[in-house]
Amino acid sequence: MSDISSIEELKKLNSIDDLKKLYWSLFEKIKNDDKPQLVICSGTACQASGTQEIIRGMKKYIIENSLQNKINLKITGCHGFCEMGPFILTKPGDAFYHKVTVDAIPKIINASIKGELVEELLYRDPKSGEIYYKQHDIPFFNKQQRTILAKNQNIDPIRIVDYFTNFGYKSLEKVLSLMTPQQVLEQVKISGIRGRGGAGFPTGLKWEYLSKQSNEKGKYLVCNADEGDPGAYMDRSVLEGNPHSIIEGMLIGAFATGATNGVVYVRNEYPLAIKHLMIALRQSKDIGLLGDNILGTKFSFDIKIVRGAGAFVCGEETALIKSIEGKMGEPKQRPPYPVEKGVYGLPTAINNVETWANIPIIIDIGGAEYAKIGTKSSTGTKIFSLVGKIKNTGLVEIPMGTTIKELVYDIGGGAPEDYKIKAIQSGGPSGGCIPVSLFDLPIDFEKLAEAGSIMGSGGMIVMDERTCMVDVAKYFMKFLKCESCGKCFTCRKGTQRMYEILDDITKGRATLDQLDLLEELALVVKDTTMCGLGQTAANPVLSTLRYFRDEFIDHIKNKHCKAGVCKDIVGAPCQATCPIGTEAWRYIAHIARGEYEEAYIALRDANPFPSVCARVCSHPCEKMCRAGAMTGEPVAIRALKRFITDMIEPSIYKPVRKIKSNADDNKVAVIGAGPAGLTAAHKLSLMGYKVTVFEKDAEPGGMLISGIPEYRLPRKILKEEIKELLDENISLKCNTALGRDITIDNLLNNGYKAIFLGMGAHKSKLLNIEGEDLEGVFPAIEFLKAFNIEGQKLAHGRVGVIGGGDSAIDAARVALRQKIVEKVTIFYRRTRNEMPALQHEIDAALEEGIELHTLVSPVKIKSDKGKLTGVEFIKNKLGDVDASGRRNPEAIKGSEYTVPLDNLIVTIGDTPDVGYISYMGIEVNKWGTLIVNEDTLETNRPGVFAGGDVVTGPNTVVEAIAAGKKAAIMIDRYLNGEELGKPLERKMPTIYVPPREVEEVENVEEMKRIKLPTISVEKRKSTLEEVEITLTEESAIYEASRCMRCDLDFTYAEKIKREQEEFMGDIMKSNSVPEGEVLV
Amino acid sequence: MINITINGAVLSVEKGTTILEAAQFLGFPIPTLCHMAGLTPYGACRLCVVEIGEGSRAKLVSSCTYPCEEGMKIRTSTARVVKARKMVIELLLASCPQSKTIQDLASTYDVRQQRFKQEWETCIMCGRCVRMCHEQMTGNALGYHGRGETRTIGTPFNIKSEECRLCGGCIYVCPACQLRCTYTDKEQAICNGCVNLSLPCVEKDKFKEMMCYMDPCVACEISGTHYSNL
Repeated sequence: MSDISSIEELKKLNSIDDLKKLYWSLFEKIKNDDKPQLVICSGTACQASGTQEIIRGMKKYIIENSLQNKINLKITGCHGFCEMGPFILTKPGDAFYHKVTVDAIPKIINASIKGELVEELLYRDPKSGEIYYKQHDIPFFNKQQRTILAKNQNIDPIRIVDYFTNFGYKSLEKVLSLMTPQQVLEQVKISGIRGRGGAGFPTGLKWEYLSKQSNEKGKYLVCNADEGDPGAYMDRSVLEGNPHSIIEGMLIGAFATGATNGVVYVRNEYPLAIKHLMIALRQSKDIGLLGDNILGTKFSFDIKIVRGAGAFVCGEETALIKSIEGKMGEPKQRPPYPVEKGVYGLPTAINNVETWANIPIIIDIGGAEYAKIGTKSSTGTKIFSLVGKIKNTGLVEIPMGTTIKELVYDIGGGAPEDYKIKAIQSGGPSGGCIPVSLFDLPIDFEKLAEAGSIMGSGGMIVMDERTCMVDVAKYFMKFLKCESCGKCFTCRKGTQRMYEILDDITKGRATLDQLDLLEELALVVKDTTMCGLGQTAANPVLSTLRYFRDEFIDHIKNKHCKAGVCKDIVGAPCQATCPIGTEAWRYIAHIARGEYEEAYIALRDANPFPSVCARVCSHPCEKMCRAGAMTGEPVAIRALKRFITDMIEPSIYKPVRKIKSNADDNKVAVIGAGPAGLTAAHKLSLMGYKVTVFEKDAEPGGMLISGIPEYRLPRKILKEEIKELLDENISLKCNTALGRDITIDNLLNNGYKAIFLGMGAHKSKLLNIEGEDLEGVFPAIEFLKAFNIEGQKLAHGRVGVIGGGDSAIDAARVALRQKIVEKVTIFYRRTRNEMPALQHEIDAALEEGIELHTLVSPVKIKSDKGKLTGVEFIKNKLGDVDASGRRNPEAIKGSEYTVPLDNLIVTIGDTPDVGYISYMGIEVNKWGTLIVNEDTLETNRPGVFAGGDVVTGPNTVVEAIAAGKKAAIMIDRYLNGEELGKPLERKMPTIYVPPREVEEVENVEEMKRIKLPTISVEKRKSTLEEVEITLTEESAIYEASRCMRCDLDFTYAEKIKREQEEFMGDIMKSNSVPEGEVLV
Repeated sequence: MINITINGAVLSVEKGTTILEAAQFLGFPIPTLCHMAGLTPYGACRLCVVEIGEGSRAKLVSSCTYPCEEGMKIRTSTARVVKARKMVIELLLASCPQSKTIQDLASTYDVRQQRFKQEWETCIMCGRCVRMCHEQMTGNALGYHGRGETRTIGTPFNIKSEECRLCGGCIYVCPACQLRCTYTDKEQAICNGCVNLSLPCVEKDKFKEMMCYMDPCVACEISGTHYSNL
């Protein structure tokens, strides 16, 4: 748009003075140009998001409205925040418009001309909604140090004048006019810069070797732009956005080392980078910055482009050299090193794009100044491409030594949604995975290597709990086995064999011996291969094995993939995730077909408490649901379960019963009639055992009855469900407590052969602050029990609840339903995003008028005459991230304030109330829970098993049921003298349920998740009626049809097999010749 | 001269001598497969690895390609070397169990198990044939196709090459023998000499100067014109 960018004005520069004059004339012109400017990122990522449309639209609008003299457009390379593309930056003002659409063009242009902002397009914090007016204020940019990337947003890569006006070729001028080659070398050495390609060899040293080589036939400098790591694209961005910086870097390098020829080896998959580089090279040549006698000096250097032919291994220097020579791109054993014998046998130094881009900066600010950035051994900044399961993907430039935590949480914004980040993979296929527990690690060459990874070229792939580490290793191994050149045997066969074993593991076919073999092989491959590719090929395996061996073992031993990724052993993710293996897909399929009885049977098969779980289950299945993974709207599995349990009579389910001949000799005692205990008793009874259940309270139900309020779980339904479970094999003894009425020895002496301990966790933890024994302060369990069992209404006036878990919400909502309560407030120390309670429960509580105060911690309980009057809180801010991936609250000094309260309920967790148990010879850990063998649930006393909350601490109902089921199997094995440690069988989908046929739906995207129906808010406060209502049949069928039927992958084959067998059977029948007939 | 120690034995060698040559001079056994006297070192089979360097800088290198350096301390049979060597042989056995050379190696180096999925490949990509063709026969008829797991050795486009003079050198040097003559199969036979009983090495002028590496050559045997009979 502006006249200074026309290239015709630039004449060939014949001396250094010419260059200086050019600067002066250009700066003079800039000074006179005060039009506002719109900077549009047009990197490859933004082009994919539609930048080209925006640029066309803008040009059209400007021309149509004759605004050429009022506004400038600048089309630049990548700015880095690729997640938010296409975006526009305004100058002056630095406002950052993100996700710009074509419709917004007139608004942006007109506002910029007037010097105004378009507020709705400015970047907002996704959580707090805070608007950022300047690019630099955005956390993503704020925490970076963008020495290289920042230039991208000031430069139109195809206009050399833009580079000049940003002080381009200033360093070259400095070198040519003021420095000797030795001085340049010295500065690069002082700067401490190390190769950015991955291995981190000191650049200064490499150059020094090269400069010492004889110059007779010439020397080569190579820029390695064969960037092949999956997910890494920083070199592309630099080449696309600022190609002249590479040329300048190489010119300085040539001057220092006496090199005569330069080659940029760039992969052919980067067409835009090649285009921009070709233009830049031509411009530099035309203007006299490349070629013979540069700027009238004796220094000559030329650069040519060589396009890679698409092999990953050509990023390795010896293979790259062969490829430049036009030979097959495969490595050669070193020594001799390229610096002695490189391209065409001439001395060669190879540096990465980013290294070259750093050189002008070093010369500009001086080596010593550059060395101050970063750490002692790794200086400068490094660009990383931050991708994967993270909020802000894009290119990030940070000083070396920044911790992974800062990179992931401060710049990257942490995990999207409420998943937990598990690991970060650095260095591409040759790198390794670093677990979240090591996120304090500063990113530099040594520290990453110590952790078993490498810096690599700078790919950073974030992984969360939906990523299976075995699958990650397999993915990278597949990549490497295809990209290995195949020259050396251990790399070629080693990667193939490692892949083979990993593939077996993910398919549940491997043995533990194979795991050892994998590790042994990986170490040998690392040790014996020829080039860098092979030597690092084992890293993905070794580092995942080092930090995530339990996942490998889980796959092999239990055929279980926690992340739900390995399809062959996961089957349907809903079923695989369910702790009790409920075939959710099966009952959903039946619901969709209107077969409700079959649905109930499928449901009841796995779960003795279907109606309970239909109301209070934490539904981990919905989190793993594939429909949800794609659209964020998983099938409402729990609501469908509720629909079925409300519709069908439990009595239609007839469980399979075994008869045990010696049942009377094998009596089993179960302590605690909660979900764990009752499940164990029920399952054992079905196996034919005689079971006695001892319950401390007057009624069975445990936490279901004492902890969960009636409005979530109606008592009638709970009692009916428990009644269904108690049969003639089970005798229930209430008001009998372990430690008070009975002991373990006493039971064992009285003919019980095995005991299951399922007492739950019924003691609330304390805050350990002054005044907790005051009147009006209740531990959560005490408060809930008093209400749920005895109907006592302890709360009055203003009630405060401290905590953020499910029982905090329960306590708050129970308090709200007590008549003389004025107001209920929940106080939580972190923010709502970190609250562990179920999201829909929090929503319901807020709907009912409960207040939520976050980021506060109690300091002191205030009282008057022994009665609670209020609580002093201190405000928190979110600090460092802990191992769970949540930010820890940090108190803000001097922010204390007092809230007047009449009641305080403390719900910060529960522990088992089993002070007596260690006297019975059962081991307890420091948190007060019982110690058991995780695989067998056996305690240290033979024949005594334990499970549920008493082992895990407060946990979900479904986990308790799972523990009860497992305990029943283990007790059966124990009593039959079988080996306890045998892995439990995992069920895969086998039963084929035909999918419901649906008419052609026009707009499939409209299939949104149903909203769960509830009763009105007014009604909730006055009664204890159940808040959630059953789905209507129509909406249940609608919701069930949203299921993606992951099971069909497995059951469909079964169906075909069965059909074929039937078909063959028919043929056989028709072929069998009836007696008396004769075949002709 | 360069002074080195191999397994404690001191030796001075000429510049450019490889570790393998030095070790063989002293009589230390190092197994090799892709290495062959008269062909350029290739370093592909990784069987000849030895340990050099001290402490944390100790590493394994292929002795056939690594030139001796002043003061180098070389170990040819440390635990690390033996472990790597055995794994390489195990991998070879898993791929090419029918090769006599590999069976012998396994027997010599006490490899008694093969824990991978058994394959029955006929080539281990040692590249001897390719180098033989290029360097000794100046044939340039053979080369590599593809990369990684799909890498194969053959003539361009896998059709009979004009460059190939049917010398049989490739077969002669093959330790695993993918290119073993398949005799009368026209498509695969190297020279087809036996098919039409016309002897390339005798009848055609351009083969006059060529030494025949096929021993025994089927064509010669059948026609009774083997050079030993002449």
